Amino acid sequence: MAGYIGNLALFFSLIFNGFLIFSAIKEIRSNNFNNFKIINFCNNSIFFLLLISFLTLIYCFTVSDFSNVAVYQNSHTTKPLIYKISGAWGNHEGSMVLFILILSLFSFVFARTKVSEKLKFYTVFFQSILILIFLIFLILTSNPFDQIDPKPLQGLGLNPILQDPLLVIHPPFLYFGYVGFSLVFSFALAGLVTNNFDKSWSKVANFWIILPWSLLTIGIGLGSFWAYYELGWGGYWFWDPVENASLMPWLAATALIHSNIVTLKKDKLHSWTALLSIFTFIMSLLGTFLVRSGVLNSVHAFANDPYRGVYILSTILLITFFSLAIFIIKKPKKSLYGKYSFFQRDNFILINNCFLIFFLSVVLVGTVYPIILDAISGKSISVGPIYYHTILAPFLFVFLFFMSHGPLLSWNKEDKFLQIKNFKIFFPISIVISLVIIFWFFDYKDIILILGLLFSVYLIVSIIFDWITQKKLSFNFGRLISHLGFGTLIFAIFINAYLSKEINAAMKVGDEIKIQEFIIKFKSINKIKKENYEEVFGNFLVTNKEKQVELTPSIRKYDRPVQFTSETSIKTNFIVDYYFAINLSEFEKEKIMVRFYYKPLMFWIWLSILLIAFGGIYQTFRLRNEKQI
Amino acid sequence: MKNKYKIIILGITIVIIFILFLRVLNSNKTYQPNQMIGKKIPEFILEDLLNKNTKLDSNILSGKDFAILNIWASWCIPCRIEHPFLMDLKDKNQINIIGLNYKDESMNAKNFLKKYGNPYSLIGIDKKGEVAIQLGAYGVPETYVLKRGKIIFKHIGPLNEDAVNKILELKK
Repeated sequence: MAGYIGNLALFFSLIFNGFLIFSAIKEIRSNNFNNFKIINFCNNSIFFLLLISFLTLIYCFTVSDFSNVAVYQNSHTTKPLIYKISGAWGNHEGSMVLFILILSLFSFVFARTKVSEKLKFYTVFFQSILILIFLIFLILTSNPFDQIDPKPLQGLGLNPILQDPLLVIHPPFLYFGYVGFSLVFSFALAGLVTNNFDKSWSKVANFWIILPWSLLTIGIGLGSFWAYYELGWGGYWFWDPVENASLMPWLAATALIHSNIVTLKKDKLHSWTALLSIFTFIMSLLGTFLVRSGVLNSVHAFANDPYRGVYILSTILLITFFSLAIFIIKKPKKSLYGKYSFFQRDNFILINNCFLIFFLSVVLVGTVYPIILDAISGKSISVGPIYYHTILAPFLFVFLFFMSHGPLLSWNKEDKFLQIKNFKIFFPISIVISLVIIFWFFDYKDIILILGLLFSVYLIVSIIFDWITQKKLSFNFGRLISHLGFGTLIFAIFINAYLSKEINAAMKVGDEIKIQEFIIKFKSINKIKKENYEEVFGNFLVTNKEKQVELTPSIRKYDRPVQFTSETSIKTNFIVDYYFAINLSEFEKEKIMVRFYYKPLMFWIWLSILLIAFGGIYQTFRLRNEKQI
Repeated sequence: MKNKYKIIILGITIVIIFILFLRVLNSNKTYQPNQMIGKKIPEFILEDLLNKNTKLDSNILSGKDFAILNIWASWCIPCRIEHPFLMDLKDKNQINIIGLNYKDESMNAKNFLKKYGNPYSLIGIDKKGEVAIQLGAYGVPETYVLKRGKIIFKHIGPLNEDAVNKILELKK
């Protein structure tokens, strides 16, 4: 019954959408934009109908209505309630509903903001075209309300690896980020079409770029954190295509935030900002395609139907084609270059924009090239961390250097001498700090490590200096926090990469082994039974010269579907993580394979990501309040 | 005029990307029939469908030189289509066929065998489908060829002439 309501709501939202586009085209033809009422009414209705549809789907999952295919395939009565609810977006169909709902939500909220009628009209129009495309996709190829008759008595269950509290919130954050960029995309097209791409455009766009960017940052952070403690490989970023898929829009959006500031402050770089607005959303769509079409094999690959892949591919390329064609035709002509000077803030931003696009290209090539090569020549190559680290590291240092000085430069005048003075302050301080760190902690010296520490410390020092001498703290607070977060993130990543230790061994109860500076004792093993799984705990005692830690990693055997997962045990003192995992395959045999990791500064990596996101969120609130005043 | 060329170039680029990715999609990597091939079958002990006192133990399978493990269910329509092939393999080629009765009611399964004949020497009851999952099965029916407990070939879906010929070839 509920399924019918949801289905009906979907169809009606499709009808309203068609009507919205139809009447919008009529308005455009007659060239008067005073009939915003109808458009607005349709826009609101679409949002509420989609909301109803999504809530209905959640309801079906909550009450385990197995007559619904999506519920049958992804849920089970014995599953805890929270995972029943999150099951609604833990599958292809449900997540597509969420995708469209967010498209519509952004359109709904945007229509309520203070923007010129014409811009608003076109933005809502372009946004509704996106909604239409994805609604048709949803209804034709992946309707979440498909019924099974007769109704099965039990569902197949949710992949246990996805039964995790973090994964309840990870996809929504990621989606708000990914899909949120659609609004800036539509808004950019609206600006182009109406020849309104100028400072006032940037002022409004600022909010709509930073908001999804902050949410995407959190989403990526959550995914990474989940991979760290759930997958049990001791790592937090694997350069997996799916992770890259979320990193690419992030990089594009980071470039966009900065170029948009230049457009706002100096009325420059219009075309570049417009192009990045389009490009950021295309990167989100590419991510959606990679994850959803079955091109990749991963936990995220829900859809196995090849037609879905072809549909997503064609729509994404059509959207790309039309948006870029609009850009080519309506490219903003106006460009105020003014006096060029190297030591000027906009120039440093532009340089770092180029670096960000370079990073993006490296990730794009690393992700897409192996897939295409495999399909064309049948050759498999693996592009792993070494590729990314080797190519990215040297450029990252230069990037950090420009990032340190950029914000200290003036927008309008050349202040070369001030920067040389700053350099004379920052450089000795950071070199002392990084050398102390290196000689204190490290037995061997690696040039990449030294440079990494030097430049990240340099950035942090410059931010602290900026902070102390700051006259407009509340205005710059968001930027300072995000940049500080980035500095500490790079610092923590480098320390972590070079100081981490890993021990692999086969052990049985009672064993005690001594490897490197650690003594590991396997004390006992015990078993418990929970609602939807059985768990076997190993009890280990790890001792080194600093401290003694007791760790209890486990193996879970889930009932539906039957699957084993490894639960790690992590103890942290905020400086170092002690991380323990046991292997799945040797389950309940005499000896089990154990893995112990010593991971410094992991906490600081998570904290840094939070800082980066927090800076963005602070900024959006500030922008919001500013507008109301 | 210049814009026109730009748009044409853009269009051509998009078409090339489309063709490239279409090939990627059609290469169909999600289908990996050889995932379990070369590996030993997972360990399990199941009750026999027809004889309560016997057990189907994966160790018995390991001891056999050549055997076929067939996943089936009475509610599965394609299983009826492949059934004559199984009967032939047993009667004409003297192949030892082991059944895995997947998520089925015992009564229905027994009726099914009465109606169509029983090609199996042993039938394990996999009521919850756990063993099938451990085997990496995609669905019912599915057939595994085992040599000393090692999976050397796997056929997804109902058996056909080609699959039967392949099995007979492997037996040699």
